[in-house]
Amino acid sequence: MNLDSISSSALLIAFLIYCLGFLLFVISITGKKWSNRDPHQHAKRWGTIAFIVSAAGFVCHLIFFFTRWYVAGHIPTSNMYEFMTFLAMMIILAFLILYGIYRSPVLGVFSVPVGIIIIAYASVFPNEVQPLIPSLQSHWLKIHVTTAAAGEAFFAIGFAGGLMYLLRTVDFSGSSALSRREILGVEFTLLVVAVIIGFVAAVFGFHAAGYKAQFSTQVVITDKGGAQQEITRYTDYVLPPIFKPNGGKLESMTPFLGMKEPLFETPSWMNGNNAGRQLNTVVWSVLFGSVLYGLLRLIARKPLGAVIQPLLKGMDAEDLDEISYRAIAIGYPIYTLGALVFAMIWAAEAWGRFWGWDPKEVWALITWLFYAAYLHLRLSRGWLGKKSAWLAVIGFVVVMFTLVGVNLIISGLHSYAGV
Amino acid sequence: MVENTKCECGHQNSIGTVLCESCGKPLFDEHGTSLLEMRYDGVARRSQKANPTWIGRIWNFFSSVKVAVYLIVITLIGATLGTIYPQENTFINIDPSTYYKETYGWTGHLYYLLGLSRTYESWWFRALLFMIGTSLVICSLDRVLPLYRALSNQQVRKHPQFILRQKVTYTGDLPIAANRPRQDPAFTANGHTAENEAAVQWVNEMAGILRKKRYRVRTDGTALLAEKHRFSRWGPYINHIGLIVFLLAVLARGIPGWHMDQYLGFPEGKPVKIPGTPYYLENEKFSVEFYSPEEVPKLKNKDQVVPKKYETQAVLYECVEHCGASVEEPVLKEVARHNILVNEPLNYKGLMAYQFDYRVTPQLVSVRPTLKNKQTGEVYGSFELKMNHPQETYTVGPYQLTLQRYYPEFGFENGEPVTKSNEPKAPAFVFIIEGPGLRQGGEPYIYFPREIDKVNFGQDRINAELGSRLELSVDSMEDVKISQFTSYLNIRVDKALPYIWVGAAIFMIGLVMGIYWQHRRIWLRIDGTRLSLGAHTNKNWYGLRREVADVLGKAGILVDAKSLETGGTVRES
Repeated sequence: MNLDSISSSALLIAFLIYCLGFLLFVISITGKKWSNRDPHQHAKRWGTIAFIVSAAGFVCHLIFFFTRWYVAGHIPTSNMYEFMTFLAMMIILAFLILYGIYRSPVLGVFSVPVGIIIIAYASVFPNEVQPLIPSLQSHWLKIHVTTAAAGEAFFAIGFAGGLMYLLRTVDFSGSSALSRREILGVEFTLLVVAVIIGFVAAVFGFHAAGYKAQFSTQVVITDKGGAQQEITRYTDYVLPPIFKPNGGKLESMTPFLGMKEPLFETPSWMNGNNAGRQLNTVVWSVLFGSVLYGLLRLIARKPLGAVIQPLLKGMDAEDLDEISYRAIAIGYPIYTLGALVFAMIWAAEAWGRFWGWDPKEVWALITWLFYAAYLHLRLSRGWLGKKSAWLAVIGFVVVMFTLVGVNLIISGLHSYAGV
Repeated sequence: MVENTKCECGHQNSIGTVLCESCGKPLFDEHGTSLLEMRYDGVARRSQKANPTWIGRIWNFFSSVKVAVYLIVITLIGATLGTIYPQENTFINIDPSTYYKETYGWTGHLYYLLGLSRTYESWWFRALLFMIGTSLVICSLDRVLPLYRALSNQQVRKHPQFILRQKVTYTGDLPIAANRPRQDPAFTANGHTAENEAAVQWVNEMAGILRKKRYRVRTDGTALLAEKHRFSRWGPYINHIGLIVFLLAVLARGIPGWHMDQYLGFPEGKPVKIPGTPYYLENEKFSVEFYSPEEVPKLKNKDQVVPKKYETQAVLYECVEHCGASVEEPVLKEVARHNILVNEPLNYKGLMAYQFDYRVTPQLVSVRPTLKNKQTGEVYGSFELKMNHPQETYTVGPYQLTLQRYYPEFGFENGEPVTKSNEPKAPAFVFIIEGPGLRQGGEPYIYFPREIDKVNFGQDRINAELGSRLELSVDSMEDVKISQFTSYLNIRVDKALPYIWVGAAIFMIGLVMGIYWQHRRIWLRIDGTRLSLGAHTNKNWYGLRREVADVLGKAGILVDAKSLETGGTVRES
């Protein structure tokens, strides 16, 4: 067994242990009412067990990280797969730290799944070790990417805390305009989570079924001698093409449910790398996610938030508010340092300018401004509770857009992170 | 109507004060039970005091955090607009008036017409940044001075209303004997009423416990004030100063000479003048390496190669003589030498050269032709012939060659020989050769260094009879110097950079101070046997509650941390 496969198995083991840790956290909450036990004792005992299990998962995750580093010869944070697995690792670390402060098992019920979903999301991307292109050959790759991810991980815990606060406090039986709006908001957030799970399910499902389609596009490239030439570029789809690439010609395609050719063409304004394939994937994810959400909704026959709410009964709403805020407050300086200051130093060294309004830079700034507004509203304007919780939820959406969405829609200097 | 702002303790407060600056008694809502507004310790901010003049109005506008948040949110939304399509500055050679229309259709054209293709250089975006800067300065000044005053003149004994309307409070009877008046004349002379000795002792014991928790404690008989990490209150102001330094540094790049940014092409082996500086940079050799297929598993597209390294071996010269546009060759002195890689620019006294791009541009740099007698095969010697600025005369053996004409890119126009450009793409040299066996005054000889030109233009035919006697030619490729690549470097000067980093560093220090530490205060007083305790922090109430519960526990009062919460949230305004 070589190091490479040890590395991959370590990640798989970490993933499974996190799933187990998540279940144990759920037991620590739901099991309180089981017969013949002191609810407080139960929560404490099972919470500790779940914490230790999650920490063990984290150790496996570390083994994955360092063995991969050794195999690759450079820090594994240079493509989407590596970055996302690293982000997941940081999320678990942030969770372990905040659990250490607040000892709240419910935090595990919400934070560990965020880590799990991000690992699942990462595993969709090609996991081969890729050599570094010249602009990434710098020690700042280690420093900038890791600190930025650590900051974002705390925002993820802030998101989990905010969502918990909302699930705990929104009145799901209320019929006022306000509570209807709040229910809608919470359900929409859960739908988005379902879409991400749908994405992973779609890619793995079709991949396992051996689905394939291929398109060719003619692209004009300018070679290094300055001559322009037209070449044919091939794009492989693992999901049935609802959207074909802009200007793409169908080369081959496994028929799917009677669909023998793509239904639509990707609009030309989508500029990202392989925009057509990515748009197609988004459409499939939304389809899968909606079906998943719809099925759960049919089984439950009430808003999913109302199903989860009882889990949070024993939790003090103000503590949730505090945890969410605290996570963001801890993350903010780390994020500033990693995603802005270190990023600027590196940009100054590699590209000769510390700031160039590249889309990724702009979105990092937008994320930063968003959380700056959050902190000002909270500290100076007294926005606590629900308002603050909504901002924490929206903030993480901004973070995810910066990490994933920017690479999808917009092309820029950071497009090497895309697949 | 003149507002009466005098507190019952005798302190005269300024207008706008919420809590008496001395004893903390609420000046409004005196008999209420709601939580006190503790921001800036209830002192009047500058913007709340005077009757506003027009300057005052502007001050008041920018001193509002609400306005600041609006500015942040508008900037945030404005910034997103700039990421819809690539900005103009990401392209080097485009005509934006047609580019956006051709590439993105009418939406692209609209984007261009709205000026969004230059979002970050637009007047409104700059105005927003400028307003944020103003807001930073005014918000900070408006609050920091009154807050500083309030925190440096804190009274130990606070009004019971002040203590019990804090967010974290405890009140209860102490297990001490009631009202045994203390017979210490010095004590009563201090202005205190007779107090319970046991109560004073309890307070002193409490002071010890709090000191162990690293509080700075002051007592005043049966009243106590414990405080820690006050410095964290200055964090926000320090980080705002950092941001201001940062923004000023960005503005400072407008100072002439502080900022330079140009992209220049450097063919191998030819020093190129850097405009606006006394420097010349020579690309001695450029090299590009690609990863071998074994190093790159599973490439998506077969035509794709992954670059491993771009390197320009650069030499920087300073011009010491003939630097102007004089006819004479400038005299250059080497000042720096560096192999420029993507993450390793050349840096000479703030002049930076970054690897940006490269092109394959095969071009002759120089040749070393040999003069031979074609009939006897006798070799007279060779000389270095440069494609750029060739010398006027060359001496080869007994012969003297004078350069009469030089065509870097030889060609014919209307039957006349011309040069099509100044690039040595098809160089041709016309020499007048003087020497043994030649006419007085010399004979003309045309020389094409490139074999292909020699054949195409018929060098031997033009030289006619002389060409059958003498021959200029290179013997091997060793005598030919070719520039294979042109390396494009980004030449920059940014004198504001150090100030940018200083600003960023100050910002980080302020941020860490303000966020990772919290200013905690605990007030307590004993009236009879009744203990009233109030505690305040600017953040992390959870931690404060636990600490207060812990301290009370050590003093023998067992309470649950959660029960210290008086409930309710701070009023939302």
